[in-house]
Amino acid sequence: MSDALNELENILNITIPKDLVEGVVKVEKGHFDVISPSEKAYDLMKILHDDAGIYHLSTISAYEKDDSFNVCYHIQHRIEEEVKEIPINFIVTKIDKDNPKTPSMIDFFVAADYYERECYDFYGIYFNDHPFMERLILPEKWPDDVRPMKKEYSWEQIREITLNLAKQISEDD
Amino acid sequence: MSKKKLLVMGREVIKNQAKGPVTLHISERLEKHPPPEDIRTIPRIIEEKCIMCGTCVKVCPTHCLWMEKDDKDNGMIWLLRPQCMWCGHCQTYCPKDAIHIDREPSLSVSLFSFNVRQDYEMICAKGSFKGEKAEKKLAEVIEEGAKTIKEIEEFRS
Amino acid sequence: MAEDFRSRFRVLTDGSDTPLGADHHIFIGPQHPWAEEPAHFIIHLKGERVVEANIRIGFNLRGMEKAMEARTWRQNTMLIPRACGICSAVHQNVYVRLVERLAGIEDQVSERAKLIRMFSCEAERVHSHMLWYGILAHDAGFDTLFHVTWRDREIIMDIVEDISGNRVNPALMLIGGVKRDLPKEKADKARPMINDLIKQVEYHKKVFTEETSIVNRLENVGVLTKEDAKKVTPNGPTARGSGLPYDIRKTFPYELYDDIDWNVVYYTEGDVLATTLVRLDETLESLRMLNQILDRLETASGELLQRVKPRISEGKYMTRAEAPRGEDIHYGIANGTDKPERYKIRAPSLGNIDATLKRMDGEYIADMPVILRSYDPCFSCTNRVMIINQSTGEKKIMGQDEFARRAIKAKKYNRPFF
Ligand code: SF4
Ligand code: SF4
Repeated sequence: MSDALNELENILNITIPKDLVEGVVKVEKGHFDVISPSEKAYDLMKILHDDAGIYHLSTISAYEKDDSFNVCYHIQHRIEEEVKEIPINFIVTKIDKDNPKTPSMIDFFVAADYYERECYDFYGIYFNDHPFMERLILPEKWPDDVRPMKKEYSWEQIREITLNLAKQISEDD
Repeated sequence: MSKKKLLVMGREVIKNQAKGPVTLHISERLEKHPPPEDIRTIPRIIEEKCIMCGTCVKVCPTHCLWMEKDDKDNGMIWLLRPQCMWCGHCQTYCPKDAIHIDREPSLSVSLFSFNVRQDYEMICAKGSFKGEKAEKKLAEVIEEGAKTIKEIEEFRS
Repeated sequence: MAEDFRSRFRVLTDGSDTPLGADHHIFIGPQHPWAEEPAHFIIHLKGERVVEANIRIGFNLRGMEKAMEARTWRQNTMLIPRACGICSAVHQNVYVRLVERLAGIEDQVSERAKLIRMFSCEAERVHSHMLWYGILAHDAGFDTLFHVTWRDREIIMDIVEDISGNRVNPALMLIGGVKRDLPKEKADKARPMINDLIKQVEYHKKVFTEETSIVNRLENVGVLTKEDAKKVTPNGPTARGSGLPYDIRKTFPYELYDDIDWNVVYYTEGDVLATTLVRLDETLESLRMLNQILDRLETASGELLQRVKPRISEGKYMTRAEAPRGEDIHYGIANGTDKPERYKIRAPSLGNIDATLKRMDGEYIADMPVILRSYDPCFSCTNRVMIINQSTGEKKIMGQDEFARRAIKAKKYNRPFF
């Protein structure tokens, strides 16, 4: 881990406090995974944004891992002189499944708004301090407790729910 | 507008009048500009080569192929033509090169016929599945279709 | 940073909760003569000027990511191009590179296969850009140019059809290589067509830069400065029009883009004209690349398709590619079976929405069509149909299967559809 961490620190020109990161993995040349638990993710992202000057967020993907959620921020470090990008997958781990809460990164990236709301729609992960944690993609009348991308819902179940919803809407109006 | 510009425009107008319409009738266009020889359409099976392994059924992304079989030499493969998206996966993964994507442009015309008898097609029949059994299956499929129509009518009344 | 953009977190339902000073509200979409795409734009005006713009999306969720978890990696190769109607080859390219990396065979893909993949991607960029600036001319009220560009676009469509067997969905790529070869006869047939097209695109560029009626419509409209662009993170041509010279083919090269001679195009003005010129120049760049690829294909050799086992070993990986509209990013997690554990797709249009809303601030309402078009919006179609019987007011929801089946029956028994 420390080799990859050192390499990343050299590229970004900063020092990353050891206690904030859970691990750094070098995926391939110039492509890193940075892993951090959810309590410390905000501080680490603050360092990456303010000190290293990372401003581009490509997307956020959430996924289930064992009995917790992980949220992965795909950010790009851009070196303008060399016209180069260093992709970093910033993985926030240890988000409790029963009460999924994690800090919002909207303070650093405006684009995080849409992506975080998408995760909230599909997984029910609540991003603390997000000013407008509302539905983005799912229909307005979609039942609140059904988070369609969770593994517990099968493809057929989702289809059933969708059709029932459509029927209900067409009966209402 | 200057006189010169008017003259230029006038010349263009007369030229276009003399030329006649640029648009072509579809049949004329097809003659002048035929579709390429190897466009992709629906799959076809060479019966002698097929070993009824079921790979094509497994890899088909739209589930438009299905098969019924007893053993290696007895069986049939059905194709639901409107659902096939001509992707060619069945051709790529067939171990015996028995299935191939047809390159007959005229086939694409009859694809969306909305007729049960034409939509369900048996593309391969081997051994005892030839003839009688296939006819029976076709009757079954059409019957199933008729049932759905009844349901829809019940819904309407 | 959230404070700067807080205004847009307001919900507008009945017009009561509006920004300061706005006196009119215009709603565009999801069904609107301008927009073929299902998005809902809310534009607040003071007089003729836009005070603030808002968007609602999500009218066409198709559940593709969920559907992919129920299919095998091999089947998904043909589902993935359906993520987008126009940039299907790029989505497929990102997908196959991701799976190849997870299966550990990314080094075994031959040079020839890579070149054919690049050909498909670049041809797609050409026809996508030509489609876009044609429609832009149409939105700006210059229909002649629209017809001229779309006529010339047929040249590249014919090349794609000749090579892949389909006009917009080439579907040439497979995990481990490509499906079809690009033989010498086809290359010889394509070369003069490409040279013709280069001349035509140069002519289009001349029109876009010299014809005052269209330049006046685009110049200094919807300016997005570099500082603003860094905040709202646009990607693709939208960003390159604002002076951010990032093109993934250069910044993180994939396939053989670092072996081929080409330049990144970028402009610093940030207005709609700049994004148009980026796309025009990129079209020319791509056409020259097509010629180079055809030259290299004469000597390049290698197996077209590597055998890959259906089961993909555990792991996760992220790949990106430069789609015609911008940055296309996929993230896949494999769990050792033949089906993906999780697959995430982010198509470029979502990343560009913020930038477009920012562009609208303070502009005239008459410029809205051009600005909204500037980021090349691309959502996709729904999978569900609602039938309303007009005489009785009765409604029925059908899935696609049922709809198709009903249409079949109606035809067979020669009955009306309803
Ligand atoms: S066509 Fe090919 S893949 Fe399909 S069952 Fe026959 S041999 Fe197997
Ligand atoms: S071409 Fe594709 S969709 Fe059609 S039968 Fe073959 S695998 Fe299925």
